[in-house]
Amino acid sequence: MPERASRRVVVTGLGAVSSLGTGARAFTEAIREGRSGVSPIRSFDASGFPYTFAGEVHDFEPEGMLRRLRTDRWGRSSLFAAAAARLAVSDSGLDPGLLSASRAGSAMGTTLGESTVVEALTGQWVYQGLKELDPALVRQAPASRIAVAVNAELGLTGEAHTVATACSASNYTLGYAFDMVRTGEADFMIGGGADSVNRWEHAGFYRLGALAESVCRPFDTHRSGILTAEGGVALLLEPLEHAVARGARIYAEMLGYGVNCDARHPVAPDPASIAECIRAAHRNAGVRPADIDYICAHGTGTPTNDATEVKAVREVFGAELPPISSIKSMIGHTMGAASGFGALICCMALYDGFLPPTANVTEIDPALGPGVDCVPGKGRPASPRIVQNHGFAFGGNNAITILGRAA
Amino acid sequence: MNTLAAVTPLVITGCGVVSPAGVGLEALAGALGGAGHGTADLDAIGGEFPPMPLAAIPDLRVEDYLGKKGVRSLDRTTRLALVAGERALAGLGTPLTDADRVRTGVVIGTSTGSVRSSSEFSRETLVREKPYLVRANFFPPSVMNFCAGQIAIWNSLRGMNATIADGRISGLAAVRYARNAIAQGHIDRALVGAVEELCPQSAWGWYVSGALAPAAAVGEGAAMFVVETPEAAAAAGREPLGEVLACEVGTLGMSGLRRGLATCVTRTLERSGVPAESVTTVSLGATGLRGLRAAEEDAVRTALGALPRHQIRTARLVGETFSASGALQIASLLGAWRAAGDTQETRETRDTGDTTDSVALVTSIGDDGNVGCLVMRRPAVETAALPS
Repeated sequence: MPERASRRVVVTGLGAVSSLGTGARAFTEAIREGRSGVSPIRSFDASGFPYTFAGEVHDFEPEGMLRRLRTDRWGRSSLFAAAAARLAVSDSGLDPGLLSASRAGSAMGTTLGESTVVEALTGQWVYQGLKELDPALVRQAPASRIAVAVNAELGLTGEAHTVATACSASNYTLGYAFDMVRTGEADFMIGGGADSVNRWEHAGFYRLGALAESVCRPFDTHRSGILTAEGGVALLLEPLEHAVARGARIYAEMLGYGVNCDARHPVAPDPASIAECIRAAHRNAGVRPADIDYICAHGTGTPTNDATEVKAVREVFGAELPPISSIKSMIGHTMGAASGFGALICCMALYDGFLPPTANVTEIDPALGPGVDCVPGKGRPASPRIVQNHGFAFGGNNAITILGRAA
Repeated sequence: MNTLAAVTPLVITGCGVVSPAGVGLEALAGALGGAGHGTADLDAIGGEFPPMPLAAIPDLRVEDYLGKKGVRSLDRTTRLALVAGERALAGLGTPLTDADRVRTGVVIGTSTGSVRSSSEFSRETLVREKPYLVRANFFPPSVMNFCAGQIAIWNSLRGMNATIADGRISGLAAVRYARNAIAQGHIDRALVGAVEELCPQSAWGWYVSGALAPAAAVGEGAAMFVVETPEAAAAAGREPLGEVLACEVGTLGMSGLRRGLATCVTRTLERSGVPAESVTTVSLGATGLRGLRAAEEDAVRTALGALPRHQIRTARLVGETFSASGALQIASLLGAWRAAGDTQETRETRDTGDTTDSVALVTSIGDDGNVGCLVMRRPAVETAALPS
């Protein structure tokens, strides 16, 4: 690829559809207060499960948010994605007509795609037979619909990638979106992710022994696992120069990212590989460990993840760990959207000046070693300049984004 | 804001393909000239299929390629992709070193992972006495990136590991995604491709959808490619099988597939820096699909003035393979070039440096409005030669 003048890339629009509210502002206020979005499961009959809590979005009304999509033709994850993207564009103040006439596209992350559609089809298979599959539902099943929904809602004609790199997927999309805008392949990109709470994932995590009963407490001595969760998140990336020229509100500058793969185990994470991913992200962003003021952790709340993550961070940062917190303590694990929500809260932390908290912490696990500041309880006023956002996944798929305060 | 510059080519230096023609490029190329697929051996796959034409990989002995250890627990999607990946790496003129593998990524196109794995796991939550009495080890394969993760584990590939679910254009989208990762220095090279398994769940989905043309089969297959820069390939002494010029994808077809794909083809040729007249081959994708077939061919006619002299219709042989279609189309093209490489006529053409017989399009189109085009160039003799 010919070397072209590399453009600086900024985040100018944020969209969130979450268990803690709709819109980046409502979401951020709830996070700063350390509120919980977790509640008894309503989206499927959870009565047969020992654990029945999740981070569901109960008040999602896509009809009121979407302008182009016919909501009866799309699955829940696609609607989450499209709604978040619409919110991000509205938030950015960018003219939607200019956006759709530009070289613009989307990359959206997901773990289980249109899982509720697949479950509905499975129900038809089990109770009526495969002959009776509803063609309208079959059309909604491919995971590709998630990014396609974003392009369809916004009238974009650029690429529409659904990146199914499980729980680090949103960071994959943000990295790709960053490269596209930076190199001039695109003038605007939407990055983010979407997933839906569903029975199959709830059962899977329960059987893996990774599910918490009702409270997710990352970094705590008594942490017991994740809570499944859902939502949609979108970030609008645009060239700095363009954002400045139109007088846009700039939440943050995207500085770079790193991705790698453990290539060892389908489920168990590898600290040395995660440390290497952190270094790759720092190299790509042109920053040093000492520059990082905050880490938005993958922080699932399983005993293994948090111990592995802190170990990896320690390997790169030495004795001086930056504050490291997990918003999954409040919204649960939103899977393919998780690192997108992490990126969104990083942008808000840089813009508003605070550190997001880890809720539900009563005792920071001494086994994690000294100096772990997980910002327990509520958000803390601060002036972070450069922050780092973690996303790890099944398959050993690590992805880390680096964001900086707008200059 | 500005027009896009021409792209620097990448090269494909390894190719592995598993299709209803069997394992390998030669099998695919040979069968493409023949009568089409035989009767599918559905016993090896299992389950109740709809009454419609099906194209399955015959007699696939995965153990021959992967060994016996750890194979039994893998789903068909992962097995197909692993065999294709193993073949692609095993066929490299110079194998990858351990250091190379740290800087090698995996980018794989998929529809929804293994449709069978996810729906069967989902089914367990309904048919077991309690919904949570599912088998834990069947959970990771129900997640879409399981296959890419396994490819990395089996081959110790530690670079970027991406799963691209872009529907019918997944194969081309994976190439585009990998190109960026290589160009931006995240990885040095990638094992890129796409996979689709034949299973009752998706076959019935096609059956009830009415999307297939009469007599068109639902198929399966996987094709994986080693993609790297020409410089890296030359330094390692790996001979290019094909040069990847521009690859453009997008939802240009949402307000009209014909016009959208035509625009995409024109743009891809521009970014490839080759004139429309130089295109002599098109590897088409939507051959088995009602409506889309005509849209795809019309779009190519609109962009080029006429269909190129040679047309490759991979789906006639392998069936409709959805997310794997683009990768299998690339494999068919490479296979056709390899087969033609043995003829005197072509060799003379190549010796004169005449490139008119060496540029091909691979097109992809989906009913969701996604379209894609990849321009491939047959390597010139000079670049194909091994360094001393």
